[in-house]
Amino acid sequence: MSKVSDYAFINAKLRARIGIMRDTALFDEMIKAPSLTEAFAKLDGTRHQDLLEVYRKTGDLQQVELEMLEDEISIYREVESYLPTVPSSFISVLLEKIEVDNVKNVIRLWYSGAIRHHAISYRAAYLYKKEIVHSIDYDGAINAVSYQELLGAFHGTPYVDVLSSFSMESLASEGLFPLEIALDHMWFRHLEEGIKNLSGQDRKTAEAIYNTDVDLKNILMLTRYSYSYHLSPESLRRVMIPMGYIAREAERMGALQSDDPIAVLSGIVRHHYPQISEEIARIRRTADDLTTVEENNREILLIEAYLGERRKKEYRKILQGDPFSIGVVLAYFFLCIQEYGALRAILSGKYYGRSEEKIREGLGL
Amino acid sequence: MSMFTRKMRMLTAVVMESDKDNVVKALLEKGVMEFVHIGSLPADKMARLSEHSSSVPKAVLTDMRIRVETLLKEGGLQLPELESHVLENLPSLDMETYRRTLDRLSLSLQSIRDRQKVINQDINALEEIIRYSAEKKDDYLDLRVGVTTHGSADDLLQRLEQIGGVFLFSSKPFISLTLRRDSSRVTEVMDKFGWTESTDSEAQKNAVAEAIGEAKAKTESYRLELQKLSEDAKERIRKVADDLFRIWTNVRVHELCEHVESYFSYTRNTTLFSGWVPSEYSDDISALISKVTSGRCIIEWTDADEMPREEVPVEMTSPKILKPFERMVNNYSTPEYGSINPTPFTAVAYLCMFALMFADLGQGFILLLVGLVGTWLYKKHPEKKDGIISRYLCSLLMYLGPASMIGGLLFGSCFGFELLPALWFPFDAVVEGEAVPGLVQDIYDILGITIKFGIVIIYLGLVLNWINLVRKKRFFELVFDKNGLVGGALFSLGIWFAWGFVASGYRTFPSAPFFQPALIFCLVLLFLKGPVGAVIKARKGEKESIGSIVIDTVMDFLVQVLEIFSGFLSNTLSFMRVAGLGIAHASLMAAFYDMAGMPDNIIAQILIMILGNALVIVLEGLSAGIQSLRLNYYEFFTKYFTGHGIAFEPVGFKSSSAD
Repeated sequence: MSKVSDYAFINAKLRARIGIMRDTALFDEMIKAPSLTEAFAKLDGTRHQDLLEVYRKTGDLQQVELEMLEDEISIYREVESYLPTVPSSFISVLLEKIEVDNVKNVIRLWYSGAIRHHAISYRAAYLYKKEIVHSIDYDGAINAVSYQELLGAFHGTPYVDVLSSFSMESLASEGLFPLEIALDHMWFRHLEEGIKNLSGQDRKTAEAIYNTDVDLKNILMLTRYSYSYHLSPESLRRVMIPMGYIAREAERMGALQSDDPIAVLSGIVRHHYPQISEEIARIRRTADDLTTVEENNREILLIEAYLGERRKKEYRKILQGDPFSIGVVLAYFFLCIQEYGALRAILSGKYYGRSEEKIREGLGL
Repeated sequence: MSMFTRKMRMLTAVVMESDKDNVVKALLEKGVMEFVHIGSLPADKMARLSEHSSSVPKAVLTDMRIRVETLLKEGGLQLPELESHVLENLPSLDMETYRRTLDRLSLSLQSIRDRQKVINQDINALEEIIRYSAEKKDDYLDLRVGVTTHGSADDLLQRLEQIGGVFLFSSKPFISLTLRRDSSRVTEVMDKFGWTESTDSEAQKNAVAEAIGEAKAKTESYRLELQKLSEDAKERIRKVADDLFRIWTNVRVHELCEHVESYFSYTRNTTLFSGWVPSEYSDDISALISKVTSGRCIIEWTDADEMPREEVPVEMTSPKILKPFERMVNNYSTPEYGSINPTPFTAVAYLCMFALMFADLGQGFILLLVGLVGTWLYKKHPEKKDGIISRYLCSLLMYLGPASMIGGLLFGSCFGFELLPALWFPFDAVVEGEAVPGLVQDIYDILGITIKFGIVIIYLGLVLNWINLVRKKRFFELVFDKNGLVGGALFSLGIWFAWGFVASGYRTFPSAPFFQPALIFCLVLLFLKGPVGAVIKARKGEKESIGSIVIDTVMDFLVQVLEIFSGFLSNTLSFMRVAGLGIAHASLMAAFYDMAGMPDNIIAQILIMILGNALVIVLEGLSAGIQSLRLNYYEFFTKYFTGHGIAFEPVGFKSSSAD
């Protein structure tokens, strides 16, 4: 099968959808709406009518968010079904990211009930319990009274290996952060393998996108944890995603074994992402009165904004380029995620009574 | 109906500032004027004019209107129609009161949603228990049957309900069905009341069923409550519908006034405005302005001919019966001012093409029926959103159905059967290779008919283009353009040549004394396009170098020749798709006819024919519709339709231009 026959149909289908997707006027009207009910009412007659129907029936934002998750999963599934085996299995890896996040939610819920002894019943209803990629016994997980039972719920899935390296005691003492990082790392390993299985242009496109993505996530991680928590080199190794240019360079240069790992890592970041380094340096020079935490928060926001912008540029380039590659599919997913993200941010902003300005700021508008 | 776009005139008027409001209201009521910004006055005069400043900005009014519309929609209410009498006693805006009214309503709706949320969470909690029981996941459940030794049962119940579960405390022994994961909290609470497990084995045995029965009953009643609350939300909006309509009407009218006034310019005592009006209304508008200003006005009219054509708004005046086809034209683009209205030609061409591709009396009748029923349903339920068979499609089907029926009569086809004698020739029989009397004997004859039809359509397009060019006084293009006279002549020569070749059985090329001189004359004209164009430009002061003229001429000539020969050839052959679709339609029906003959069972035979017809109506109907549109857009419109116009959007009560 040629690339044209692989992607001709899905390319046409997704481009048509992308064409009607970017409805900034809808978001603007939703932000302006004075209440959550009125913000929801704006969805009448749009592609997100199903969300409005759920809200009209239940009045429950969390129920709507569950519906949104279901919609997102169905988007991946639909695209997956139109692609040949190799790119389709790569989409499955991307769908696994949603599953990893869902698994994290399950474990948080279990942790809250079994370790912190909080009531979780009403929250359990908003958990996505259908199969995403692997067959997980979600009921078993949230009802587990021991760690063994929790492991049993994940039997036959790749999550068992990750969960096995933790115990109820270690989670009780260290919290869920190390486990969540380990789950993320597992997914990134799967992603790396998935990219390797792609061929030709598809691999190049996916590599370019996800290596940059991982690099920026690593920068974010360094910014977030190195300054605030002063992580040891060993902890740094644990939080850094072992993929992308920065991680590879850090490995090659032995950054984490050096006397000042942060300085070496900063050097690598400066070399590959000079713009972001300059911006961070500018913030620090001009914000003398800020505390470290505030500085840190501003940097995080800055990197997130940069990450968003860079992704947008990347995907715009893809949409203008070769139509017969996985790029169009990835661009479509990106736009969908962005759209659902914006919807979530606006609706939860309205729910918590945030001002228009705050919501816009959060959306980077 | 006019053959051409509606004639326009531009009004420029000066009225006293004190008469401004009356003028605005009168023009709004009339609703025939598209306002333009005054930007062509000399800079010194413009500087003396000030822009409109409003008490309530239009954006605020628009936001308020949209807010009311959103709430009305949420209540399932239709927007009211604006009527002229609202202008007579238009109340002043009281935005603060409006805002308070809307906030009150919004708050009341939010309280309903919050209540729904609580009930939904209760349903979720109960459903988890019901599901575990149904899926035999009893391990996750915690059933207790017993009595308390001290304390009040009501207090215990209250505390247990905070944890969540099903509790039957109306008779002893009490039943508590909770989730195992909550068991430590349940035990803790029960211990405080001295809970003792019952030894009554019968009660223990029936407890789960009783508790699940209770959970199901509760869930059902919660669901009904949810539904009722959902209806309540609509009802609350309906209760204040009059207020909402009043607010909407006032805000909308003020918004329209603001929109109109945003085009006005002011001196200290006067107001100046300008806009386009269909020429037949110019006297009415003059009289109207004079009346409301008591003659204190200066009115000046400028004919559209005096203005650059591209600045004049365009309106087509097609009769109501042709509206579905006008939309087809508008979807393509707006024609240039003063050019031919393509709607009637599009209607005829589209219906002919569809009738040739989808000729069946019975299937056409089904299309007509769908169109009629759909239109009736949409009229009955005006709030209903457009489905796959939209309002527009329904209106179109009411034309396509009869067109298909006429086609069916011409070719003697009804639901794929030759039930009637063909008025023209039996299409299905010809496709199936049967010997038929008459001129049309085989598929090639059908292809020939559609090519002739294509030639007629293309020539019609060229003639319409020539009329447009004469009206626009673009004589250079009329003569030299590929869609001009020279293009038309070359197309004629091509047709004559091809006809002769086909008539000889594809053996010899035809020859005639006029052919070569005519061909050379046309090619020379085509070659002269560059130099003649350069001379015309030079006269207008746009001089070009000889070198560039020569290069442009040669290149342009080669491109034009290529375009004319390949373009006209492909345009003409493109019409073979009409025959192709018609043949596919007949073949598909023949295939279903054969399939229906296979089973011995009469019911199976009827079912196959019904399914076959349904499939053909949907698939072939869609294909024929799309191909007809394509032929109109690419083969017909490209010959005469420039689409350089801007649509005329008068501001009135029914306009959307202020949105």
